Amino acid sequence: MADTFGWVGKILRVDLSERKTDEVPTDNYAPQFLGGRGLGAKIYWEAVTPEVGVFDRRNVLILATGPLQGTLAPTSGRFMVLGKAPQTGPVESYNRSGVGGHWAPELKWAGFDALAIQGKAEKPIYLWIHDGKAEFKDASHLWGLDTYQTQTEIWKTHGNKSRAMVIGRAGENLSRIACILTDSGDASGQCGFGGVMGSKNLKAIVVRGTGSVRVAKPDKLADITRSIHHLFARKPASNDPFKPAQAGFKYNIWGGKPRGALTLFYGELLDLCNNPTSGYTQIPDGCYACPIACRTRVKGPDITNGVALCAQSFMYMESLVLQPEKGYSKITWQAAKLADLYGINAYDLMAIIPWLGDCYREGVLTEKETDLPLSKIGSWEFIEKLLRKIAYREGIGDLLAEGGQRAAGKLGEKAQQLSEFYYPRGGKFGGYREHWAFLGGFPSGFAIPQLALMWVLDTRDVFTSHNFISQIWGAADTIVQNENNAVPDDLIPILKPVMKYAYGSEEAAEFFSRDRKKLNWKWAPQVVKRAHERAILKDSYVVCDIAFPYVFNANSKDHVGDTSLESQLFSAVTGHELTEAASYQKGDMLCTLERAIAVRDGRTRKDDVLRDKYHETADAADRKYERADLEKAKDQYYQLRGWDVATGIPKRQTLEKHGLKDVAEELQRRKIF
Amino acid sequence: MYQINIAKLTDKTVHFFWDPVTRRTFIKKGAAGLLSIVAVGGGSTIFAYPDGTKVALAKGVIVADQSLCSGCRICEAVCCSRNMSEGRNSGALSRIILEKNYLSGDYEQNVCFQCSQPLCLDACPTDPRALHVDQKSGTYARDIDPDLCIGCEQCIEACEEVFKLPRPRYDPEYDVCIKCHLCHGDPQCVKFCPYGALHYKTSESGLKTGYPYI
Repeated sequence: MADTFGWVGKILRVDLSERKTDEVPTDNYAPQFLGGRGLGAKIYWEAVTPEVGVFDRRNVLILATGPLQGTLAPTSGRFMVLGKAPQTGPVESYNRSGVGGHWAPELKWAGFDALAIQGKAEKPIYLWIHDGKAEFKDASHLWGLDTYQTQTEIWKTHGNKSRAMVIGRAGENLSRIACILTDSGDASGQCGFGGVMGSKNLKAIVVRGTGSVRVAKPDKLADITRSIHHLFARKPASNDPFKPAQAGFKYNIWGGKPRGALTLFYGELLDLCNNPTSGYTQIPDGCYACPIACRTRVKGPDITNGVALCAQSFMYMESLVLQPEKGYSKITWQAAKLADLYGINAYDLMAIIPWLGDCYREGVLTEKETDLPLSKIGSWEFIEKLLRKIAYREGIGDLLAEGGQRAAGKLGEKAQQLSEFYYPRGGKFGGYREHWAFLGGFPSGFAIPQLALMWVLDTRDVFTSHNFISQIWGAADTIVQNENNAVPDDLIPILKPVMKYAYGSEEAAEFFSRDRKKLNWKWAPQVVKRAHERAILKDSYVVCDIAFPYVFNANSKDHVGDTSLESQLFSAVTGHELTEAASYQKGDMLCTLERAIAVRDGRTRKDDVLRDKYHETADAADRKYERADLEKAKDQYYQLRGWDVATGIPKRQTLEKHGLKDVAEELQRRKIF
Repeated sequence: MYQINIAKLTDKTVHFFWDPVTRRTFIKKGAAGLLSIVAVGGGSTIFAYPDGTKVALAKGVIVADQSLCSGCRICEAVCCSRNMSEGRNSGALSRIILEKNYLSGDYEQNVCFQCSQPLCLDACPTDPRALHVDQKSGTYARDIDPDLCIGCEQCIEACEEVFKLPRPRYDPEYDVCIKCHLCHGDPQCVKFCPYGALHYKTSESGLKTGYPYI
């Protein structure tokens, strides 16, 4: 594969039980399955059967980069972690989780496009992958260390240019909400793959490469990169820091949020950072080749330094409620960092913490039986104790380490009911916390049909909605509203040209009927179909979901973005010409492949449902997600995809049309059709 | 917050902050080797080695502002992508090296200073020297001619004598050394840095930067 561009040509398969590795040519999968999420789905399909449990040694942990990693392509520091996910529940099923930072390019430079790790080591080890070689190293001295300490120790051995994906206490103790962390805050959070690493006795995956990734058209790549930099960077076309940023220029992520807005919120810590004499600072921190640097790195004399973004840094917002005068305080920050040190998925903690509060108020749980200061949620005392219990599986922590949804299921009907609020998807494939099921959060927000349809069809929380929400936020920002107080009525005129460009009709922006009494579901299936395709393509190239797909431009008059950027990058890097239209066919194929995996794990139309609570409660404008409307939208979505409408299972001819004959045969053999 | 403050440098600010180097250089070249900085014509200064090689000051240099850096390594990526043959992209073949402490978050862009007294050039053993002053593009950058380079890495060792992180790098695929040549007057890292943390400073009369000034 010497003359291949983009991909470096090898996938490393690791068997920890046998302490053996072998290599598979990437040619077997690429360019058909691109990389990242697409490549991982195909590897998973071949390697793991539904009978395998998540902590079973036969479960395969896949870390997959795409063709763009290790090149100049903007936001190409990302990669995907895939496998059977402990967090999905009650039925364990295949899932994916994206990670940023600087790990992915290092793996490509070391000569591998992806890793597929199976088996279980007898005693703790870590993988040391460098320049085409993979070694098994003893990790008994690392076992028990937190994620920062582990990396510091690894750098002592392998140099600070090596990058490591590590687990903390939570992963070692097979928590279903354990993350895999790299550097100071980039993590594969959702899905709980940290527990899978723990079950394999694998403490860390360390990579270092001095090789290179070849680009087919470097000049073209530079041109596209330059234009993308202009779209997203804060100081477009200006390299002089002493000149003010262009007047009126908005930072083009999520429709114009200022840099750092997704790391710190107003309060004590931000004030300290803005005070030049305090000794605290916040500085931008970019993932590899990213012009945006959405996160900031917070430093201070008495806090844990590092980066954190959005859900991670806003994990403990209860502290703002307890101490409103302080706002976002050092406690809020340290709580997020403590979760990182233990290696716990902050996003599920955002459900567990308020749910514990609800249970305490309703009398389901008491301070005595949980041994947690539940009356003081928001304090350092509470979070320190809670996270320790989860990481070490002590007392109630043993239950909570199973994830919020599973824990609630075991605590009785009342606790279960209280948790429904946080876990929108019903059926057997839930387990993921609410993530924009309503605009502005539930139940004060507004119902948007597209969001509900995305939620029922996805396999985890709806990351697709990041893109969808970003255009709504952008429209809101244009008229000086924000994500919390945006009124859909005001946004529709701004969104019309954007939706016409991105989804083919201005009407797609009308979320409700003209009389404002009912939701307008007409365009939901088409919009969601395209949004899913874009999402899976973005995860397969792999680029960042904050920047791509670029639907909303905060700086132009009509706000129309450019959705062809990803396929242009792919074409320039790999030399395979891929038009935007052709890329959507590929996205369609990958969506169907992912569905086939879910179906093989037992998913049917019956699992594509929202919890009753989400149908029963009216939104801020007294509109509801009506069951009949949602079912009709599902019918249309399945039809558009070529899936069976009655069961939600991809049809045989659809799979064959997409060139997935082997998939069709296995589903036939399992009598799933 | 510049790494280098060009304005304050005068002819006489010669620092020998690392003893072994000074000694070694003295032994190798004799005292004259370090002190023969002579002014020529309209203010431009030329450094002459004892063997008669004259080295004109570079007319451009990249300066870095650490306070604006986000550590995204676009500078490294673009350096490699634009300058390596066959579209190779790699962190190990970049002529600007971003050192980053990933936990505490200190960034350091290590640029080539285009030294007034380039030890790398002095060390180059080929005849004619592969490491030469790029007069063609007018930048007077210290550049390596890949056709002449034998990949002996002596320039890397020479740079390492004064700078912790040697700026020239070795390209194993072609068995040559590579170093920053200011992209022949249009440094891509400066152009692509999204935060304006890198600047390209030029002066027609030459710039006294790098060794022995800093």
